[in-house]
Amino acid sequence: MEPAVEIRHLVKEFRPAGRKLPLRAVDDVSLTIGAGEVYGLIGPNGSGKSTTMKALLGLVQPDSGVCRIFGHDSLKVDSRQQVGFLPENPYFYKHLSGAETLRFYGKLCGLRGTALEGRVKELLSLVDLSEAGDRRLGGYSKGMLQRIGLAQALVQEPRLVILDEPTAGVDPIGSRQIRDLIFNLKERGITVFLCSHLLEQVQEVCDRVGIIHRGRMVKEGPLDDLLALGDQTELILKDASPELLEKIRGLVAADGGATLLRADRPKTTLERLFLEETSERPNP
Amino acid sequence: MSRPAKNRPLNPRRIGVITMHTFTQLVRMKVFYFLGAFALILLGSNLFEIQDLGRPDLEGTDVLRSIRSWSLGTMTLFSVVIGVVATALLLPRDVEDRTLYTILAKPVPRLDYLIGKLGGVLLLIFISLAVMDLLMTGVLAVRTHFVTAEQVAAATRSGWPPDAVEALRQDTLNQGPTWELHGAVLVVFLRAAVIASTAMLISTFSTSTLFTTITGFLVYFIGNFQAEARRLYFGEGIDPLEKALGMAVAVIFPDFQLYNVVDTLIEGGAFPPGRLEMLIGLSGFYVVLHLFVSWIVFAEKEF
Repeated sequence: MEPAVEIRHLVKEFRPAGRKLPLRAVDDVSLTIGAGEVYGLIGPNGSGKSTTMKALLGLVQPDSGVCRIFGHDSLKVDSRQQVGFLPENPYFYKHLSGAETLRFYGKLCGLRGTALEGRVKELLSLVDLSEAGDRRLGGYSKGMLQRIGLAQALVQEPRLVILDEPTAGVDPIGSRQIRDLIFNLKERGITVFLCSHLLEQVQEVCDRVGIIHRGRMVKEGPLDDLLALGDQTELILKDASPELLEKIRGLVAADGGATLLRADRPKTTLERLFLEETSERPNP
Repeated sequence: MSRPAKNRPLNPRRIGVITMHTFTQLVRMKVFYFLGAFALILLGSNLFEIQDLGRPDLEGTDVLRSIRSWSLGTMTLFSVVIGVVATALLLPRDVEDRTLYTILAKPVPRLDYLIGKLGGVLLLIFISLAVMDLLMTGVLAVRTHFVTAEQVAAATRSGWPPDAVEALRQDTLNQGPTWELHGAVLVVFLRAAVIASTAMLISTFSTSTLFTTITGFLVYFIGNFQAEARRLYFGEGIDPLEKALGMAVAVIFPDFQLYNVVDTLIEGGAFPPGRLEMLIGLSGFYVVLHLFVSWIVFAEKEF
């Protein structure tokens, strides 16, 4: 099957004012994203994540290397018919309402008439903004802006969605809504290329991950493979009695080859605890 | 390999979408408030001064001329300021707000984006000038009616011969709403179109709105000395350096002095033969040239 994204030996240098030597933002990066995959590109600030994404969208021109979207050169306008993009901290036109924003982007992609109106309604419902659709974006919260941004990225039903820090500055509830939307996209077979430094979120949603540092891809592969500790086994028990645990310890000690490293109660995450306490608790 | 839809540049629908969006954006920035002020002053001056026109001499036509002059002066001011400021503002704002990323990440050729943005500014200026023209025509029509009646009555009372009265009537009507006056408004629009496309060109390589605005006005100012530059270039006994400078100015900067034909029209004069056609052609040439160079710069620009 044709890959959704193919980046080969991408190099991008910038020449900042007052600096003699060029700054290499992306250094020989290669990656492939299969159709329907959720791929996470992670790395510290200034590591080259956004530049890689911009090169893929034709917003910057590579010094060398190629970027392809479903086999099409990403510098060509036609390749963008299949792509939806949500930039980091987007500021859409404040004078437009949510529905007008989607109409504007839809028309740019060639949608018209009832098809466009139907799509606008569908997307507002998908991102849970049906009631705020007629309000101007100037009055939207950060999370609402991110969601309308995601909706505009999906307006032409793209096969690939590129999300640059989609939850930056969003509270945990808004962040989870966006995470759920990503799961929704995955279920619908849409490829997602996600760039974030919120590692927990990337771990939650991504099939494959690339770690970029100082412009170079330092690690890349399926998430399960990258995270698995090859010589360790996890055993999670429910309602285990102290006697049973003692027996297990005895068996491990008797084996001679294996070592019990830790027996502890698993913990929930702070995010999950926060969400349970704020949104999942029933009203008194 | 799947084949996405072809997205060739110069798609009228896509350009239309960006044009209408830019127009809406400017309207919601309350640019039309200026029109309200214009209407208020024009109508107010008409209502309050109309009783003072019972004079048999040419003072009445002076008032009509003053309305034409004031109206066209305001139109020029409005169109040049909006042409420079709005164009200088829109492009960098889209870059700063990253809305440009989301637009260019859609199948939108950069040329279409530029044409759409300029189109939105020009549409706003065109509609504003059309409304102002309508208001000016209405006020002038009313005042011309009263002034003509007063002047003819006064001249008849003074015993002027009929042909002299008719000549006076005709002279007064010439200071009212005429096709030449509408032509003058068209010239004001053409001048604004050239200055707006100049500002767009500057904004494609400038890094700040302030720089674009100042340079845009500077180009307008220099453009008004084009004729002098041409005289330097073609004149005899001119220093080679001055000649080179004159040539550079004559080639780079549009000759805005040509548009000063508006002054003759305000005085009740007519277009010199072929002047309007020449101005339409020249303005079209400059707008296309500026758009083409803007596109060359913008096509390579990184965000």
